Amino acid sequence: MSGRPSNARLLEVRGLNVSYEGREGPVRAIEDLDFHVDAGETLAIVGESGSGKSTVAMAVSGLLGSEAQVAGTAELLGRDVISAPEAERRRRRGVEVGIVFQDPFTSLNPGLTVARQVTEGLIHHRKVSPGKARRRALDVLGEVGLQEPEQLLELYPHQLSGGMQQRVLIASALMCDPKFLVLDEPTTALDVTIEARILDLLDDIRRRRGLGMLFITHNLGVVNRIADRVCVLYSGRIAEIGRKTEVLTLPRHPYTKGLLASLPVLAANRERHSLAPIPGQMPQPGDRSAGCVFRPRCPFSEARCEEPQALVRVEESQSVRCWKADLVVDLPWPVERRQRVSRKRLDDETDTKPLLVAQDLRKTFRGAAIRKTIWRRRFGIPLPYQPRRVVRAINGVSLDIMEGEVLGLVGESGSGKSTLGQAIVRLIEVDSGKVLFQGQDVTTLSQERDFRSKAQVVFQNPDSSLNPRRAIGPAIARAVMLHSTVRRADMRSQVEALLDRVGLPRSFYDRYPHQLSGGERQRVGIARALATRPRFILCDEPTSALDVSVQATVLNVLADLREEERLSYLFISHDLSVVAHISDRVAVMYAGNIVEIGTTEQVLAPPFHPYTEALLSAIPRTDPGTAERSRIALRSDAPVGGEATGCPFSGRCPRRIGHVCDEVVPPVQTGLAGHRVVCHIPLEELAATQAAEDPPPNGATRQRDASGRR
Amino acid sequence: MLAYVLRRLLAIVGILFVMSILIFGITQILPGNVASIVAGQFASDEVIAAVENRLGLNDPAYVQYLRWISGVLIGDFGQSIIMDRPVAPLIADALAASAVLAVASLVLVAIFGILFGVISAIRENRPTDQAISTFTYLGISVPEFFWGIVMIIVFARYLGLFPSGGIGDMSDGFMSWASYLVLPTLTLTFTLIAHVSRLTRSSMIEAMRSNYVRNARAKGLPERDVIFGHALRNALLPTITILAIDVGWLVGGIVVVETVFSYPGLGRLLVFAIERQDLPLIQASILLIAAIYGLANLMADLLYAFFNPRIRYG
Amino acid sequence: MDEIAEAPSGRGWRMLRHIPGKLRIGGGIVLLLIVLAILAPIVTMHSPTQINVVERLSPPNAVFWFGTDEYGRDVFARVLHGGRLSLAMGFAATLITFLFGVPLGLIAGYVGGRLDGLLMRAMDVLMSFPPIMLGLLILAVTDPSLWKSILAVGIVYVPVVVRLVRSRTMELVHEEYILAARARGEGLAYILAREILPNAWPMIIVEASLRVTFAILLAAALSFLGMGAQPPSSDWGLMISEARPFVNQAPWIALAPGFVMCIAVVGINLFGDGLREMLDPRLKSKGGA
Repeated sequence: MSGRPSNARLLEVRGLNVSYEGREGPVRAIEDLDFHVDAGETLAIVGESGSGKSTVAMAVSGLLGSEAQVAGTAELLGRDVISAPEAERRRRRGVEVGIVFQDPFTSLNPGLTVARQVTEGLIHHRKVSPGKARRRALDVLGEVGLQEPEQLLELYPHQLSGGMQQRVLIASALMCDPKFLVLDEPTTALDVTIEARILDLLDDIRRRRGLGMLFITHNLGVVNRIADRVCVLYSGRIAEIGRKTEVLTLPRHPYTKGLLASLPVLAANRERHSLAPIPGQMPQPGDRSAGCVFRPRCPFSEARCEEPQALVRVEESQSVRCWKADLVVDLPWPVERRQRVSRKRLDDETDTKPLLVAQDLRKTFRGAAIRKTIWRRRFGIPLPYQPRRVVRAINGVSLDIMEGEVLGLVGESGSGKSTLGQAIVRLIEVDSGKVLFQGQDVTTLSQERDFRSKAQVVFQNPDSSLNPRRAIGPAIARAVMLHSTVRRADMRSQVEALLDRVGLPRSFYDRYPHQLSGGERQRVGIARALATRPRFILCDEPTSALDVSVQATVLNVLADLREEERLSYLFISHDLSVVAHISDRVAVMYAGNIVEIGTTEQVLAPPFHPYTEALLSAIPRTDPGTAERSRIALRSDAPVGGEATGCPFSGRCPRRIGHVCDEVVPPVQTGLAGHRVVCHIPLEELAATQAAEDPPPNGATRQRDASGRR
Repeated sequence: MLAYVLRRLLAIVGILFVMSILIFGITQILPGNVASIVAGQFASDEVIAAVENRLGLNDPAYVQYLRWISGVLIGDFGQSIIMDRPVAPLIADALAASAVLAVASLVLVAIFGILFGVISAIRENRPTDQAISTFTYLGISVPEFFWGIVMIIVFARYLGLFPSGGIGDMSDGFMSWASYLVLPTLTLTFTLIAHVSRLTRSSMIEAMRSNYVRNARAKGLPERDVIFGHALRNALLPTITILAIDVGWLVGGIVVVETVFSYPGLGRLLVFAIERQDLPLIQASILLIAAIYGLANLMADLLYAFFNPRIRYG
Repeated sequence: MDEIAEAPSGRGWRMLRHIPGKLRIGGGIVLLLIVLAILAPIVTMHSPTQINVVERLSPPNAVFWFGTDEYGRDVFARVLHGGRLSLAMGFAATLITFLFGVPLGLIAGYVGGRLDGLLMRAMDVLMSFPPIMLGLLILAVTDPSLWKSILAVGIVYVPVVVRLVRSRTMELVHEEYILAARARGEGLAYILAREILPNAWPMIIVEASLRVTFAILLAAALSFLGMGAQPPSSDWGLMISEARPFVNQAPWIALAPGFVMCIAVVGINLFGDGLREMLDPRLKSKGGA
């Protein structure tokens, strides 16, 4: 840490406007942006999809094509990028500014070696010899934490894990020693444990090199983790900009407040509460009003909000675009107070009898089929041949779900959690094992029809969960018809009743999926699942594709329905905060195995399985106190294994005790009240060391103004 | 990689085996009395019976097939009925003549198809792109035989630049020999180029919009490196596959074009054989063409694997 | 990317405004040719078969718009009547292709497994014949006839369509609304017909419209080689073939049918391309993140 350079201004953006030619005149993607980034600091731009945040990244790096009309200035190292001719911009790109994009898998050229992709920028800009560039690449690859860079250089992107790919991309952005980095959602496509490692790396590089960083993200937790200052973007305009600590603890713009309030917070000992969603949705760039763009969704709005709002400085470094900011700052975001059934009472009711029991489920895939689809989806190129590989997607999993219980299932991509879910509702056939539903084995065919009506699914992707060629009403009606004897005449009212249940207007009956927003489509998906009067619903990442404010709405709908109907859910997500928010019990899955299962409180408090512990510590939180928290460092990016005969986690486990972990299958240890941890380390020992090293998140508190507690 | 090549080779052998049965079955079992063709229209029943006996036509079908296929395996394709000569040398000469035509056309199609495709993609929706697209449209919209006739009318009859048909003789000098190839080759190229140029255009456009191209631009690389170093490499993968499929089209085109230009190649030989119902000749030509087509597909798969590291290194 | 592309097929009128130019021009040409072919006896007074030795080989003029052939028959009338045959052959063969190809592709793609493997191997064998070869093979051993050549042309393209429909189906199988249909216990027939087919339709229609040109060209080529339409009835391919000996004295006999065929194929291609622009799911999905 060689002392950060004096507050040199790296980037100064003034009056930045970007618009595109639309069918009805120009559409303004971003309007009147002013901000700056100094050497050694990180400015995060945070916004939901459609806020224009990626356009900002493209504009300041001079990557916008001729189809965009750009006004204003963006001075990088004192010279404007916007007005510069393309040739000059190209000379400066990669040299003055390094850029890292979101999806590492598609951002690397699949046909070129790592060596070529890392060195080509340096060779072009600095005219160095390939040999020299190679030696430099070895240094930089080492700097970004990649082992054995010499061998790595000869590999192709598909041979690297996602985390390694992103490190390679970061390395190639650093090759020419730029003073400034633009990072466009660099960790969004990665698992949370890997995200944590990449964020650490970026922070480290920034400190070591005294870089300025512009960090684009949708995740407030990531902002808290990495940023010095934050700029909240809403519908192309800055809502609020200021120091991270101020904006996150004392948000002044209603939108920032709403965003914070709609986040599920990871905390074990708490009352069951509703999340506070922001009603409505972001306006399309075309139909923005001259006044406050947030007004239609704002609970504090008044007539004066229809006038144009100026970005006003309220504190030394904090500016807000809301005339009412000073009045609003101490008001809580309103929450529809809804008394949730206390978990205690639910517990009393639920431990009667299991609704669904899965016994020792196993499923292996031969690799080719899966990877072929992925390949085609990414590149549109059919792959004529590829070697097959065997993947153990589910490796002997047993679990049970009680009547009226929500069991959460959390795991990273590739952990087998979706496969397990689909196996339980028999969308895929397992190799061995049984599923008992209401005491009957549903792996035998005769029970199919009854089981189908009682066990339903809500899917992940709002873009594909509804048939695009069928209107909403008929889609739901079909499900009603299949499993009941409703008369045709009563059908419409039946469907409308279902729409009511998920909080959608009845007029949606005749609409088509493309006319709905993502959150609305997810709610239609829920209504369709309800149509067969199920007892059990598999929720397979139902909110993962949604923005946080919309996610809150969907989570609330699911929570309400569950109470009204005493439904049971298996709720699958990669996001432990979401799972913990809605579940009574949580199962943690890793590489096809359930490594820990217990009540939400048990799973969120020591003793943890080491993987759960790593997961918990990796999750970026919005509580300011936790930003500098020490984290459990995993030993590697990649979930190595499959071959391992012992614990599947041993290759990455920070608490690995020795060869026994690699070679012997760990025992299932049972703790209090059905809490189970699959690990070689005795529970007492785990509890003791973990409690000492890493304070459990029980104490985590929500921001006082965002919680709606008062 | 080696296992892959072996697997593909094995697959082709399998397909050829099934095809040989099919070809033999269709030609031999279906009506159309071979013996009466051989013996002539006015032969008596006794003569026909004698011929049938001599050719083994009374044996069970599988015996006949085995006899035929074991001959084929040692390069004996039997005796041409019409010309009363062994089939193998007949076909060898025709194949050589056709191969010249096919290779010349395929090379032209590959070079200009890819070139046009890339230019079109870079100049997407601008006049250059539209001009190329119109040009290739014309090529694909008209059957080879019509283009052949138009070429004869324009270049042979009015301009007198090239001979209108036949094959040249090397002893008259290379230029003279080559002049006979110009019109058939141009005809074939023109009718095939659209496949390659259109596919290259669309996969190139897709590549130019990809994230890795955006990333290459973000490094400040010159547009030339972005296009040729990054985009084209991946965009060419589907083009390789379509080139192999084009070999099939080329074979079809050759049959027609050789007829139009009276060019003594395999295609014309086949048509001749079909018109005269010369079964051994038909069987041998079709099997040979299928084998060539299969090999072309194998080549394409190997090239594909060569350019695609995901196959080279699982 | 484009809102029109996402519109379901139901809302006809609003979509009409957004029909691409290619589709209108192509559709116009195709419609015109079909009408001319059907109404051929009304459009021209001349008979396509009336021999008129006095007028033989006369160049295009006010009476015989496209001139006359070696028997003095009116080339214009012959082109129109030939168009009936050529277009009918193209459409009929395409119909056969899709009647076989679509169901096979749907089943292979959805059911997968051994059945899929078996079907695709069979298609591999079929595809190993270069297109025209299969037609020649079928026609080689039997007497040439119109129906056989239509059947041959139809069968030649079945594997292409099977593969196409199969790969589209395999894409759709993983869509969550298909999983949802399975989860509520829908049967195979319902899923194929009501969930997958409607989403594969746009691609199938586009493909079919382009396949028609391939079929017309292949049928013409077979006729040209003497294995399709049989004299005295004549399609464009046979007309060009018959005109070859007179190319030097009377090029119009060969040029007229070729020229009209060119217009027909360009028209259909434009139509298909326009349809693709309007409907192709791949163009639509590209706008996504």
